[in-house]
Amino acid sequence: MKIHDKYIFSPQRRRALKLIGAGSALAALAPWLAACGRKKDTSAGDRSEADGSKMTYRVNPTTGDKVSLLGFGCMRFPTIPDTDGELDQEAINELIDHAIANGVNYFDTSPAYCKGQSETATGKALARHPRSNFFIATKLSNFSPQTWSREKSMEMYHRSFENLQVDYIDYLLLHSIGQGGLENFARRYEENGILDFLVEERSAGCIRNLGFSYHGDIAVFDYLLNLHDQGKVSWDFVQIQLNYVDWLHAKEVNPRNTNGEYLYSELSRRGIPAVIMEPLLGGRLASIPQNLAKLLKSERPDDSIARWAFRYAGTPEGVLTVLSGMTRMEHLNDNLETYSPLHPIQPDEDRLLQRVATMMLQYPVVNCTACSYCMPCPYGLDIPAIFTHYNKMVNNGDIVTDHMDPHYVAARREFLVGLDRAVETRRQPGRCVDCGECVTHCPQSIEIPAEMKRIDKYTEALRQNLNA
Amino acid sequence: MATLGALGLAGVTKAADKLTDGGLAPLDAKRNPGRETPIVPPGAIGVKNFYTHCTACQLCIAACPNGLLKPSTSADRFMQPVMGYDNSYCRPECVRCSQVCPTGAIRPITRAQKTDISIGTAHLYFHECIAVQGEARCGLCERHCPVQAISMQKLMPHDTSENAPRRPVVSEHRCIGCGACENVCPVNPASAIRVEGRLIHTDIS
Repeated sequence: MKIHDKYIFSPQRRRALKLIGAGSALAALAPWLAACGRKKDTSAGDRSEADGSKMTYRVNPTTGDKVSLLGFGCMRFPTIPDTDGELDQEAINELIDHAIANGVNYFDTSPAYCKGQSETATGKALARHPRSNFFIATKLSNFSPQTWSREKSMEMYHRSFENLQVDYIDYLLLHSIGQGGLENFARRYEENGILDFLVEERSAGCIRNLGFSYHGDIAVFDYLLNLHDQGKVSWDFVQIQLNYVDWLHAKEVNPRNTNGEYLYSELSRRGIPAVIMEPLLGGRLASIPQNLAKLLKSERPDDSIARWAFRYAGTPEGVLTVLSGMTRMEHLNDNLETYSPLHPIQPDEDRLLQRVATMMLQYPVVNCTACSYCMPCPYGLDIPAIFTHYNKMVNNGDIVTDHMDPHYVAARREFLVGLDRAVETRRQPGRCVDCGECVTHCPQSIEIPAEMKRIDKYTEALRQNLNA
Repeated sequence: MATLGALGLAGVTKAADKLTDGGLAPLDAKRNPGRETPIVPPGAIGVKNFYTHCTACQLCIAACPNGLLKPSTSADRFMQPVMGYDNSYCRPECVRCSQVCPTGAIRPITRAQKTDISIGTAHLYFHECIAVQGEARCGLCERHCPVQAISMQKLMPHDTSENAPRRPVVSEHRCIGCGACENVCPVNPASAIRVEGRLIHTDIS
């Protein structure tokens, strides 16, 4: 396969084509080329290293579920280009079929994901497989005050069954419980009796595992684990953010967040399995600055940068599954290979990753994982696209404030042209009116309006060439 | 899906309406409002000078990197440029039209001169402003004004609360009429702050 790939793009082949007479040769070769392309896509299915039997599984202590270490996150599903974010069901089916064929059995969705289309799309794809082949995880995403009432929350819960086309849910989560602190938690789950209701549903077998996902105010996390200790509500699993940066540095990045080390150890000493989210920080740990990437590449030249992050997240024994929001087949294939089977991070590799994490803190990126919880911005800004562009520029070393910098002209151009290409003018940072709606939704507690102002100031200085 | 439709119609989504994640809120197109006195590019001296000298050669229209100038369709100024702030605004660093005009309709100016020439004045339409209504702190016009002619001031001078509602206040002696405020104003299709042209441009240095 590799030899073919090399040949297809090689100068020798181009010369050969010229000799034969390019037009007719291309026509003759077309079916062969197409066959190669197809073969490449499906060949992973029978790749020995990515075979289902090789997948690492972890056992859930309460239900005995054998869960694949790679969990499929259904938040970043592929969309059809030139539509308003409409999901590409065909591509989703292919991804999910391929994942199941290779041993993945955990699928994590929410009524809120992908503009509310994720549950239905996941349901459609999974309905084509025997129910016993997969575990489904979804959430009670009653963030909006208009869904805080008992009736509305129950309506949301029941609709999940319809959307997912199932009669029981394997893993149900109270969604992102730290946002809005204890006050909002009480409104969303306690005052309306929904928490008690969900516990009953678990007893009735409609929910097989009950847990919560945590972002934000640590008081709520501690409070819920206290309930567990007191025997009031037992949690079968908890979903936390864990990666090699947040393990020790989450608080440094943003004082309102909590280190992964604390979250994980609190769970592990209670024997509660941890489901891991943001192992890759929304892809940021897959595209780290080049000098840091070189450090990792010199250690394991053939491993993708992302693989380090996935191996790290999967190494602790108390981790049940690591969620990856996979948009493309190549993400899936790389992750399958990473976990079939897992090669745990060794102590010296751990030290290297911690060194990389410390060095990453020097880069003033915005801590955005492009989860789109903030979207749609009522004033039309494309918040994740803006931060993604800005972070890319930071990592590439294209943020310049001194016009004497020999790189100034190129970096200025790169930034401005790239911004206009990534985000249309009326959705750029300059249009933020500081309404603050996004701040309440951000799981990473980013002060989005302040960041927008900062990036706009920088952009405007470049546009007017004020530094020159 | 029904909720998405509702969001689209509302134009502006409040947090209470937001049930799902992702997607982009639709933005209504901006409309170039009617102006009693048209705006013409800095360097044009005034409206009369501009339209008497202009031969409708289209050079400035092609040169404007921000798409402010468009050929007129009206009978009296057919194909001569009309200027509007619906796409962008007359950016402080740009003097391209003045460099290409072959007839003296727009005379050459330097970048330094540009922020000294007032081609119009911004006016606030008080009741349409979202800061006045208390919808958001906003202040976009203040932030984008390249000559600091707009400042956000308290609606009630004696209100000492941190989130006291504010309103933009225009210092007409500093305003150059570049249209930054009109262009960035989040109120659509007609901005809550709009520029009225000057018959004869004024040097405000």
